[in-house]
Amino acid sequence: MAGTTAPGGVDASASVEPPPAGGHLPSVATSRLMRSTRDSALRTPGLHWNDVEEHAHGPSPVVGQRQTQKMNMYQAIRDALSIALTKDDSAIVFGEDVSFGGVFRTSMGLAEEFGRERVFNTPLTEQGIVGFAIGTAAMGQTAIAEIQFSDYIFPAFDQIVNEAAKFRYRSGGQYNVGGLTIRSPTMAVGHGGLYHSQSPEGYFLGAAGMKIVVPRSPIQAKGLLLASIRDPNPVLFLEPKILYRSAVEQVPIDDYTLPLSSAETVFRGSDLTILTYGTPLFSVETALALLANPPESIAHAIPASVRGASIEVLDLRTLLPWDMSAIEESVRRTRRCVVVHEAGRIGGLGADMAAEIQERCFLRLEAPVRRVTGWDTPVPLQYEKFYIPDALRILDAVVETLTF
Amino acid sequence: MASLRAIARRGGRRALTAIPAPPAFVPLQARRLHDQVNHGTLPHTGLPLTPKLEFFNSVASGPIPTFRVLDGEGRVLEGAEEPEIDRELARRLYENMNLLPALDNLLYNVQRQGKISFYMTSYGEEASIIGSAAALDNADEVLGQYREMGVLLWRGYTLDSVMAQCLGNQEDIATKGRQMPVHFGSPTHHFMTISSPLATQIPQAAGVGYALRRMRKPQIAVCYFGEGAASEGDFHAGLLLASTVPSPTLYFARNNGFAISTPAAEQYHGDGIASRGPGYGIDTIRVDGNDVLAVYVAVKEARRRCLEQGRAVLVEAMTYRVGHHSTSDDSFAYRSRAEVEDRKKIDNPHIRLRLYLQSKGWWTAEEEEELKSRLKKEVLTAFKRAEKLKRFPLETMFGDIYAGEEPWNIKEQKEELARLLKKYGNTWEPWKNELQKFENNGKEFTEKS
Repeated sequence: MAGTTAPGGVDASASVEPPPAGGHLPSVATSRLMRSTRDSALRTPGLHWNDVEEHAHGPSPVVGQRQTQKMNMYQAIRDALSIALTKDDSAIVFGEDVSFGGVFRTSMGLAEEFGRERVFNTPLTEQGIVGFAIGTAAMGQTAIAEIQFSDYIFPAFDQIVNEAAKFRYRSGGQYNVGGLTIRSPTMAVGHGGLYHSQSPEGYFLGAAGMKIVVPRSPIQAKGLLLASIRDPNPVLFLEPKILYRSAVEQVPIDDYTLPLSSAETVFRGSDLTILTYGTPLFSVETALALLANPPESIAHAIPASVRGASIEVLDLRTLLPWDMSAIEESVRRTRRCVVVHEAGRIGGLGADMAAEIQERCFLRLEAPVRRVTGWDTPVPLQYEKFYIPDALRILDAVVETLTF
Repeated sequence: MASLRAIARRGGRRALTAIPAPPAFVPLQARRLHDQVNHGTLPHTGLPLTPKLEFFNSVASGPIPTFRVLDGEGRVLEGAEEPEIDRELARRLYENMNLLPALDNLLYNVQRQGKISFYMTSYGEEASIIGSAAALDNADEVLGQYREMGVLLWRGYTLDSVMAQCLGNQEDIATKGRQMPVHFGSPTHHFMTISSPLATQIPQAAGVGYALRRMRKPQIAVCYFGEGAASEGDFHAGLLLASTVPSPTLYFARNNGFAISTPAAEQYHGDGIASRGPGYGIDTIRVDGNDVLAVYVAVKEARRRCLEQGRAVLVEAMTYRVGHHSTSDDSFAYRSRAEVEDRKKIDNPHIRLRLYLQSKGWWTAEEEEELKSRLKKEVLTAFKRAEKLKRFPLETMFGDIYAGEEPWNIKEQKEELARLLKKYGNTWEPWKNELQKFENNGKEFTEKS
């Protein structure tokens, strides 16, 4: 499904207000990545409707009749959970504080709607939550577990890596926990300090048998979460928490999924490929605006020769197993690559990406693969602005790579 | 003080009963009643208030007693109710209890000869395992640790299946040769595949119990673990969840006195595993794990409560690990041979049941001899057959990682191995010899275009 976006990036019909006369940089609220009209939302690349069969004997809602609703990301996730619970009687949603709606409101009203047997609080024990979820999933049920912050997933590391990931393999395929999905808020939030900011995905890259998914927006969150819940493999679904309220778009209200293990080309380009996922996508967008039109304060560092560069941006979406063919195709074409993620550099996804790209595109590369990542420090509270791979750091890496 | 106590209790549970009860003990219930009348309760909690500064430890009424039905001579204990067990069931218990050592003797020895890579015996714990298995419904979902092969045998798991898994041959549908020996699993026998990480199955069992309840099944989840595994965080998580969420899950602790070399006295300072149950609000019983009738009765009642309450129940079976921890362990490095021999003599689960059977006229010396030689023969026949079988095809190594489409990395790595096998498979000795053990001799790789 990669690269299904028309050349020129996100559909031009997406109604995005043009910047005011004085010009300001794109933010999550004004991002071209957000689909703020019904029409553009319904034309999300790769979108697959799951209710076609249900309507086989009745009036089928053709795309023209589909409705959308303005939702932020937590609402879109809640909507996905509601659909999962409605369509699958075996589905249960549980974790710490989920029954009153969750500390990020992603399960608002679900306990009232579906009952306490299906949406419930657990005691405060992450290893217990994931172990319990594995047990229910092993019985063929759909277990949607929540870990309150991905920073607190480590007590469940053993259950995820040694148990969930290996369940099918070690039993010769006799047992599986395909019905397991672990949702967890992730990435920095501006003031989360060490334990409300982490991006732990790198630690799970060696957990063959698991899938790892990160959405960037409400439409993506709903479609990818429903796909994760229904995927026949255990999935770790990491939700960038800074986007819960800030990312808003028109989201189709029907049941749809977006494909796993498929990157999406969000901006087409020919001079350099940026690989990223989650929150940094919006910093990348800002960096591209800065590159094309640098403000005076940094113009001295942006040579005129690179300002017109055409940059391709891939939202990886699934980190394990990632979409290697889309990445390879893109980098072979653009010959330059920058990987951006919030997690620290050593042991991060960028290391694996860079190594694979180096093996596959060695003769095509015109510059080393650059990584713009969090530093190899814990995520520090008062230093966060200097820690995260913000627009300026991305811009600098792009310029350095283009001028290498 | 603490260290003195630990020393006094070395040797595990035998010394446990020697710990004196707290002086001038007043039953907790009576105390509560008294204080409630006089001092009321703590607001919003219902907890009785007391003006007395008083600490307590473990279970306030002293060590939890061990439920027993048969004495060492196989006679029904005075005051005990003789369980409703007929001749057929009693004989079946005994035969299954004997099948375990028959298998253990052979598989332990063939490991010593290098014919299988690893093995763990059930010596000494036969009554706990078979007695509990017999008290369960055969469709109760079992999550074990690794010393519970007897549950599978009770449910009709064949000797061929046991051999297949231990040898990792092409009949090993349990793990397709991927896991170490004794890591059995069989959905038909409602026995989830064993994994090595200790205690991970304990919270999983809570989830299994919850699923069974949601599926409106008249079955429970049953979770076995040793007293060492109960020190893991997952023990806490599992019992907590199964009692709080709640889930019909029967937790069966095999307290055999040792976790590899660590005696139970170094594993915990409280009153064994059973004393923890009440802390989680779980109905709990401690049972003589070498008395098969006591185990049977206790588990039967535990199962009933589990179903009735829809909540966890805990059974701690006190037994003794007669064998080494595994074939990689020499237990005489940390305990004396005499101690083991002593235990085998004074507290032998087989002898107790045999004497009971004989007293009922349900067993004879001839039958004993016939059983022993028959089991020995059957086990040997199954092994000889299994030994000749090849392994699953080599490409099985790359299967069952994911359902659905095979990821690019797995596909590429399989191709890489194929390339290496074509290049070196016929010349590099370690591979050349090994390939002959697999079905197809690795041809799915070497002959792939």
